Amino acid sequence: MNHTLGLRVERRTAVLVVVMVALMLCLALLGLCYGASWASPGKVFAVLTGAERSVVISDWRLPRVLAGLVFGAALGVAGALFQNLTRNPMGSPDVIGLDAGAYTGALIAITVLSGTSAQLATGSVLGGLLVAAAIYLLAFERGFSGLRLVVIGIAVNAMVTAVNSWIVLRAELEVAIAAVGWSAGSLNGVGWGDLGIPFAIIALLLILMTTRAHAMHQASLGDAVAATTGVALNRLRLLMVLVGVGCTATVTAVAGPIAFIALAAPQIGRRLAGAAGVPLLPAALTGAVLLQGADLLAQMLLAPVALPVGVVSTAIGGCYLIWLLTKEVRRA
Amino acid sequence: MTAAGRASGPEVSGGPARTRRAFSPQLGLFVGGLVLLAVVAVLSMGVGARPVPPAEVVRALLDYQGTDDHVIVRDVRLPRSLLAVAVGAALAVAGALIQTLARNPLAEPGILGVTAGAGFAITVGSALGLAVGQAGELGFAIVGSVLAALLVAAVGRRSPLRLVLTGVALTAVLSGVALGMRLMLPDVFDTYRFWSVGSLAAREQAPLALPLTAIVVCLLGALLLSRALNALTLGENVAHTLGAGVGRVRGLALVLITVLCGAATAVAGPILFVGLIVPHLVRKPAAGSVPWLILYTMVLGPVLLLIADIGSRVLLPTGEVPVGIVTAFLGGPMLIWAVRRYGAGSL
Amino acid sequence: MSIRRSSGLIGAVSLALVLAACGSSDEGGSGDSAKAPKTRVFTADNGKITIPADPKRVVATGYAVPVMIEADAPLVGISSWKRGEPMMTDEDLATYKKLTKVAGEQAAETNYEAVAEAEPDLIVIGVPAPVLGDIDVKRLESIAPVVAIGPTVPSAWRELSRKQADAAGALDKFDAAQKTYEAKAAELKAKYEDVLPQLKLGHVGAYGEVAKGTFQREFGGSWGTNIAEDLGAAYYGKVKEAGEGSRSVSEYPSIEELPAAFGEADVLTYSVNADGSVPEAVQYVLDSKLWKNLPAVKAGKSFPLRYTEAATYGQAMKTLDAIDESFAPLLKR
Repeated sequence: MNHTLGLRVERRTAVLVVVMVALMLCLALLGLCYGASWASPGKVFAVLTGAERSVVISDWRLPRVLAGLVFGAALGVAGALFQNLTRNPMGSPDVIGLDAGAYTGALIAITVLSGTSAQLATGSVLGGLLVAAAIYLLAFERGFSGLRLVVIGIAVNAMVTAVNSWIVLRAELEVAIAAVGWSAGSLNGVGWGDLGIPFAIIALLLILMTTRAHAMHQASLGDAVAATTGVALNRLRLLMVLVGVGCTATVTAVAGPIAFIALAAPQIGRRLAGAAGVPLLPAALTGAVLLQGADLLAQMLLAPVALPVGVVSTAIGGCYLIWLLTKEVRRA
Repeated sequence: MTAAGRASGPEVSGGPARTRRAFSPQLGLFVGGLVLLAVVAVLSMGVGARPVPPAEVVRALLDYQGTDDHVIVRDVRLPRSLLAVAVGAALAVAGALIQTLARNPLAEPGILGVTAGAGFAITVGSALGLAVGQAGELGFAIVGSVLAALLVAAVGRRSPLRLVLTGVALTAVLSGVALGMRLMLPDVFDTYRFWSVGSLAAREQAPLALPLTAIVVCLLGALLLSRALNALTLGENVAHTLGAGVGRVRGLALVLITVLCGAATAVAGPILFVGLIVPHLVRKPAAGSVPWLILYTMVLGPVLLLIADIGSRVLLPTGEVPVGIVTAFLGGPMLIWAVRRYGAGSL
Repeated sequence: MSIRRSSGLIGAVSLALVLAACGSSDEGGSGDSAKAPKTRVFTADNGKITIPADPKRVVATGYAVPVMIEADAPLVGISSWKRGEPMMTDEDLATYKKLTKVAGEQAAETNYEAVAEAEPDLIVIGVPAPVLGDIDVKRLESIAPVVAIGPTVPSAWRELSRKQADAAGALDKFDAAQKTYEAKAAELKAKYEDVLPQLKLGHVGAYGEVAKGTFQREFGGSWGTNIAEDLGAAYYGKVKEAGEGSRSVSEYPSIEELPAAFGEADVLTYSVNADGSVPEAVQYVLDSKLWKNLPAVKAGKSFPLRYTEAATYGQAMKTLDAIDESFAPLLKR
């Protein structure tokens, strides 16, 4: 019986993957066509196959679309990892303060150092890692509890956010404006040059994680099951934390904090797939669709002014949370 | 006795009368708390961008000469300290009431999104042109906190940590909606900046009589209600036999919580964590007695907020850090401690 | 390379990424905008830039927007610049509203495609150096030569605006405006010669985010003071902890420091909005008892100043008039 259920879930996941990939391709095509002037799909294909040349499509729109898809997938995976770890839909990197920590690192790079992109990247990765380490150490006492980790993360988030406000208050006015602008993530102006290393890092992290996906699935069935199947829980958890932090901080370093994708994508993906636990593949696909969709909206809403995608994703995430809350109320 | 000490007089006067049976060490602690409050109050009137020696502070209060030092103490710092005392007491007592009512050591009006609800309601109200004047602001703040409290209680009542999650989710939703509205109507929602971070500064010229009266009345109400709540903590059956109408007591406590939070938010904006920190600090000396818990929080809440407010004045070389930022930084560690202490059992 | 590697990861992502790999193969081939016949080398914040000697299509952002409009530069696109709107003449405001917007208020909201669409032969970015990091200058350079000329200290608008107009080859009208301004300033300076130089002045500003419980004190060379200084006004004192840029000429002390800050002043000025209304941050100061206790205020020597954020000669003309209006009582003694 369990077997047939598993099969059904697998078939549903397969259908989901096909649908999601189709959706991604549509959104990607839309992203390549849409801009200050509309390019017909025919022209886009001609450019992609090399038959025609267009700097705007191949060097401007394409990297942005790819960044939307890959970063969205990375955020979705990061969210799924943390929600698996904490066994809580609220346990996503943005809620427990990883974004805020990465932002602190970036703020220090902007205000104390000169704010080059290398410093921004290093600063935000270090900030995210430090916050993650702090939360992990604080939450790890006499065993591991996901919910406790989330609430401790919320506390750390409050403190780090307070520090961020303090840094912005101290900064020179014009710098402060730039820093505040940076607080909502944006994919505007992302080019090939910005993407090589981040894509490589994300790829590496995701490969690492896919090799351990089975163990993670075992662990999600419960500590006891995992232990009997020989999964080294603590090492697995550490790996999950590192991959999750790595994905979040890499995206934050390039695009700034893009809130709520990591929170919403894994849950939506899980529901669509009808799976137990929080599977990674649906989370990644949903994340890619969500972020690319949000970025398109961000470009269209106040055109020609480009809105930061973080604003749109916050609004989407807010709606999702309200929905989650009302559903819970009905159930309670 | 300083003016600030005197200001807390009416709150205090109801206390010993109601708890005169429990005498000795607890009363001693309470008096110690009052002395501490007086010292911190004088300190808060002495510390600032312009240093004023304590003797001069006392002279400004008792023998007003109208010099710049005296004007600063009387017209800038005294109103601010009084505000800190009132808001601190309101938030701390609201926290103690919520923790008692929900039997949840992690409950706190700020964490639960009640203050965020109040602040959001004021923003919307003032943007619509309805929340004008102190009565309008207070009304919107109370409506906002009631709605937020009901929503969070309905969703998260089953476990302490869940309650916290719901509150944080609600705060996130409200901030997201506010951000969206600000982008669509930037001029109208400019006031949101004011309501998004709590501060005690620059309120000395605003008329505060109504919200402060509401706070004092509710603090007295909390003291009157504290014995019935005490009975409630022993279990509903015991409470029934002791004659406390459980539903009525709960309802009254909820009214007090929302009015206290709403009034505090209406005058100072959202200030987090005061209601979490203070009840935990005094839980041990109160030894399970709700009346003492309320009394202690009523004195220590102001002490904490005064200290945080002093911090807000000295943390920047020039200018100020909003006090809400200071309490968030102080409150984080307390929440972590509370989770580690109480959280594990209730998972 | 990195893209191909990640494509092996998740089957689903790979499809989209294969497209990427194809797309990325035809790189290069940018900046094919028609070269202007004559070029010159121009020194800007971002180095020595070769720009057309006589640009025909200019895109301007930030502080450069009002400068370019006033100088009648051949604009084809601008950023939104709300803070300059109240200070524009009706004619300039109409021009501003008509022009295509290619960027929002914040540098990060630059729409590169809209910039490209405008087909400029010169892009002038008027944002402060730290904010330049929010802009993909390389991408803009692939469209047209980019000169970044951003504000440093508030009083430097004279040199900056000249440089911006110069880059756009629009100095004729600019120089005329400058002459008019300087003539008027000199005239007013003579008018106030007997009173102003002997007085110590202080200014309460409203620029930036004045936090609750604080006020902005502007010293000489700041927004609210630098034009009055052209009339011979002397703003005394200096910043306690000097910072970069605007922080070297203004500070945000606590309201408690009001007596210490302005106790010695003979005359006080404060920024008000273009329509004469008092900004919230300034009203807070004016309502304070400490303000009313100041000798200058008691003597009735406190004056509102309009148009304090002027950053072009055209705007500064309005400021001169406003200062003249406000300072008139000083002559009456």
